[in-house]
Amino acid sequence: MAAFRKEEAYGLRIKRSAGDKAYDTFNVLFMLCLAFVTVYPFWYILVYSFNEGRDAAMGGLWFWPRKWTLQNYKYVLGNPYITNAFLVTIARTVIGSIIHMVVTGFAAYTLMKKDLPGRKAIVYFYMMPMFIGGTLVSSYLVNAKLGLLNNFFVYIIPGAFSFFMMLVIRTFFEGIPESLEESAMLDGAGYYTIFFRIYLPLSGPIIAATVFFSAVGHWLDYYTNLLYVSDKHLYTLQYVLYKVVVASETSDMYRELQESGRLLTLTSEQQVTTQGLKMATLVIVTFPVLFVYPFFQKYFTKGVLVGAVKA
Amino acid sequence: MYPLYFGVLPSILLTLIFSYLPMFTNVIAFMDYDMFNGWLGLGSPFVGFQNFSFLKDPDFYKLVTRTLTYSVAGLIFSFPASLLLALALNELRNELFKRTIQTISYIPHFVSWVTVASLVYIFLSVDPSGLINNLKQAMVGGERISFMQKPEYFLAILLITGVWKEIGWGTIIYLASITSIDPQLYEAAQIDGAGRWKQMLHVTLPGIMPATVILLIFAVGGLFSSNFDQIYNLQNDVIRNDVSTINLYVYYKGLRDQQYSLSTAIGLFQGVISFILIRTANFISKKVADVGFL
Repeated sequence: MAAFRKEEAYGLRIKRSAGDKAYDTFNVLFMLCLAFVTVYPFWYILVYSFNEGRDAAMGGLWFWPRKWTLQNYKYVLGNPYITNAFLVTIARTVIGSIIHMVVTGFAAYTLMKKDLPGRKAIVYFYMMPMFIGGTLVSSYLVNAKLGLLNNFFVYIIPGAFSFFMMLVIRTFFEGIPESLEESAMLDGAGYYTIFFRIYLPLSGPIIAATVFFSAVGHWLDYYTNLLYVSDKHLYTLQYVLYKVVVASETSDMYRELQESGRLLTLTSEQQVTTQGLKMATLVIVTFPVLFVYPFFQKYFTKGVLVGAVKA
Repeated sequence: MYPLYFGVLPSILLTLIFSYLPMFTNVIAFMDYDMFNGWLGLGSPFVGFQNFSFLKDPDFYKLVTRTLTYSVAGLIFSFPASLLLALALNELRNELFKRTIQTISYIPHFVSWVTVASLVYIFLSVDPSGLINNLKQAMVGGERISFMQKPEYFLAILLITGVWKEIGWGTIIYLASITSIDPQLYEAAQIDGAGRWKQMLHVTLPGIMPATVILLIFAVGGLFSSNFDQIYNLQNDVIRNDVSTINLYVYYKGLRDQQYSLSTAIGLFQGVISFILIRTANFISKKVADVGFL
């Protein structure tokens, strides 16, 4: 708490009562429990995925693999169903985030200028549909008529502009001293030169936050796939995860294993179970984001702060 | 100034196509939509409010009640949860420990509902890998319960997973608000003899009131809706009829059964109600607490 540290800086030390100490201990214990409940499910999945399927199915697996194996991963990663979804998802994450950044960033830059004619009108134009917008069906019909069904670009184009992020970026831009822009214009620089040479280099944090949120959104999205894509070659990872684990359609993967004859090369003890495959799939789809987000933590806490103040 | 407008061109086009066009397409709610006749409803016969006859159907009101139950229950559980966690985090003395816990608490937010549902199915299953059933048998014995196939457990599962997933992330706004509270208020309180508890009550809580109220207003606007992601992933063929909400009904009727007009009509109905709810909540909050937007 800021207050406590400040008073310690002044040399005052408020005595903490026994009640305070008890509360502190309780608080720490509570936090540790929270941490455990949060982390354990993922740990369990990890453990199970590295354990032989048949053995794991007998139960009793809690904190460490009993019979270590990489079989589950070999089969999941070797499965074209999965690797294809990986490619689709990575493609949409990279391309989608870049396009989103460009579209939203340029809009923010343009709308930053207070003397731009029609500035308010444009902002209201963006805001209006938020009150009564399209419904599920009407959006579906529009996308269908645009030829975006079973089209890779349905992952990219409809979501390319986000009003809220535009406001956040704009706020950030407004914080950059106008004098920089003025002196550049005196030197004869055009609007876009100024954008690339001045605003962009100074916007590292906000760009990092925007791209991060956009990327995570793409990685975790399965809704777009659910609604608009039925072509297996365009499935995203989350949708494949849904099919494999929640809808329990491991038959595709399992059948492919049987047909390719690879199942027969395992000893009877090493049988790969569908449950084991599910676990490995879960790990592969879920863990990448978990490794990445801590590095962006300072960016998104700042980003939310700016956004919240704006609200 | 003209070159500048190119910057907003893409976003204006996108908004026009993906926000305004669907908005106008909603007219099919008032038509007997014929897919093959005309672009987005222009060739279909107009039928007035015929598609809104669902408002007379008692089964629809079962759906409404269920949706409201889920939303209100979710609000009662999740809303205070993040707030309380934020207050508790704020009391931690060790900065490193606090930041570590925070990082850990964000994990469920960076995971999709597909993943969470997967975890739920795995942990709650009757198989030997179902840890919850293992625990239950170790502690109270009895049969293993197939939780996900019994509708009576669904609300509890919704609430628990809802809190688990977003409690950490939800603290960000509250903690940000707390840092913006003037430290001098804390000092003044301490000089007046206020202990930690009183400080929390009289300085921290009032300081985050504005942010809390805004979030509450938005939550009220969403009462008639539900978290499609969460429910779609957690439901299955066995319990679907007993746990569906308006959103799911709109999805199944609209995109699976292709009853476009009906589904759009329900969607419009939802949109209008949400609008009214948000405006009302905003109005009340402005009158009572002088906090609101627009």
